[in-house]
Amino acid sequence: MANYHPADELLMQFAAGQLTNALGIQTACHLESCKPCQHKARLYEQLGGDLIDISTPVEVDANAKSRLLDNLHRQLKPGTKVDDGSDEVASLYREQLANANQRLPKPLQRFVPDYYDNLPWAGFSKSIQSYDLPFSDDRYTARFYKIAAGKELPQHTHKGNEFTLVLSGSFSDLSGDYHPGDFVLANTSTHHQPKAHNKEDCICFAVTDAPLKMTGFFGRMLNPFLK
Amino acid sequence: MTQSNRSNAQYLNQLVLQIAQHDERAYLDLFESCASRLKAYAIKCGSNPSDAEDLLQECMLTVWNKAPQFNPKAASAMTWMYTIIRNRRIDLLRKEKPHLIQSFDLWPDGEVEQTHSDQFASSQLDDDVESDLNANLVRILIESLPEEQRQIVYKVYFEGKSHSEIALDLGIPLGTIKSRLRLAMKKLDNLAKEQMTWLIIILLTNF
Repeated sequence: MANYHPADELLMQFAAGQLTNALGIQTACHLESCKPCQHKARLYEQLGGDLIDISTPVEVDANAKSRLLDNLHRQLKPGTKVDDGSDEVASLYREQLANANQRLPKPLQRFVPDYYDNLPWAGFSKSIQSYDLPFSDDRYTARFYKIAAGKELPQHTHKGNEFTLVLSGSFSDLSGDYHPGDFVLANTSTHHQPKAHNKEDCICFAVTDAPLKMTGFFGRMLNPFLK
Repeated sequence: MTQSNRSNAQYLNQLVLQIAQHDERAYLDLFESCASRLKAYAIKCGSNPSDAEDLLQECMLTVWNKAPQFNPKAASAMTWMYTIIRNRRIDLLRKEKPHLIQSFDLWPDGEVEQTHSDQFASSQLDDDVESDLNANLVRILIESLPEEQRQIVYKVYFEGKSHSEIALDLGIPLGTIKSRLRLAMKKLDNLAKEQMTWLIIILLTNF
């Protein structure tokens, strides 16, 4: 059970269907294993329903109803579904899911070809490696980070926000211990030096809106190599 | 007011349950009751009138397909339709852009009804809490929010604005936006807890 959760604002934006790619997927991954946040997201969906309920009605096209019935009747055969436009993507999705690694969080399965051990990790150092996720958007970059067991990152701060979801293993910094499912936000005021626990590598799913800024001496030296 | 809202919510639930039995009459009644407000949602989210009509059509067809999975104990019909139109809107926006995520990436188990049956089945109390008992209460809450808080909630839901964008829009400092939104959400959260209390009282007095 996670001890660190997305802010309510984020859950509300998620329930509103308004998060961009990277933050949306990350929030969905946290929700998959977090019941308290599922409950909150549900409440915000209810709020969405109520917002529709109290909306001022907008006049619907005169032929909308007959168009709907035509659509329905044209396609209505016993035992078949009506094509509502969602089938094409859904079947693509099913195909991708059939080949996916089931140990990954479901929202990631379609995008990540293999389990963490077998991914083509990249990086100049064995202590920290990264894997770029294919759904970065124009505001946020999404990637996995792997901190090797027992290793500590150079002290750094952030130019913008960095949302981190722990996927496997655990790490700690001055503010706490983070385990799978934990969702942590670091920003410009966070100076931290995450260290993976000794037992195993720590895999994190990080979403950043600006690159890291290394602050220690070694950090500054390393900085040009980090994306 | 409260009573009529509640019975309206029950009426909509009933219609969806009948649609699950392929009742076209109920389907048309649901259309009559909701189409103009579903279209209003699309327009508020920034659709032009013709896209809003398309979204309405797709949403209603999905309602037909998914009605058998509707569970009024999991969510009121309005909440359920909200999740459908929200997801269809996401997918329509991204239709020509395969690099963008689809609604099934965010809700891999389907919308609210699926989530419920899979993950909440063990907790009967949750089932009841989420029924339309509180549909009214949330609505009353929204209506009772001060205009300044309500405006921000609207911008999050319909315009997808980030807090800093809302701050620019309204010419208000970012910190103020955040604290107003937090106040609004705190009220919502308290409300949810209150309902839980009420529910327990109702359950105790009924049995």
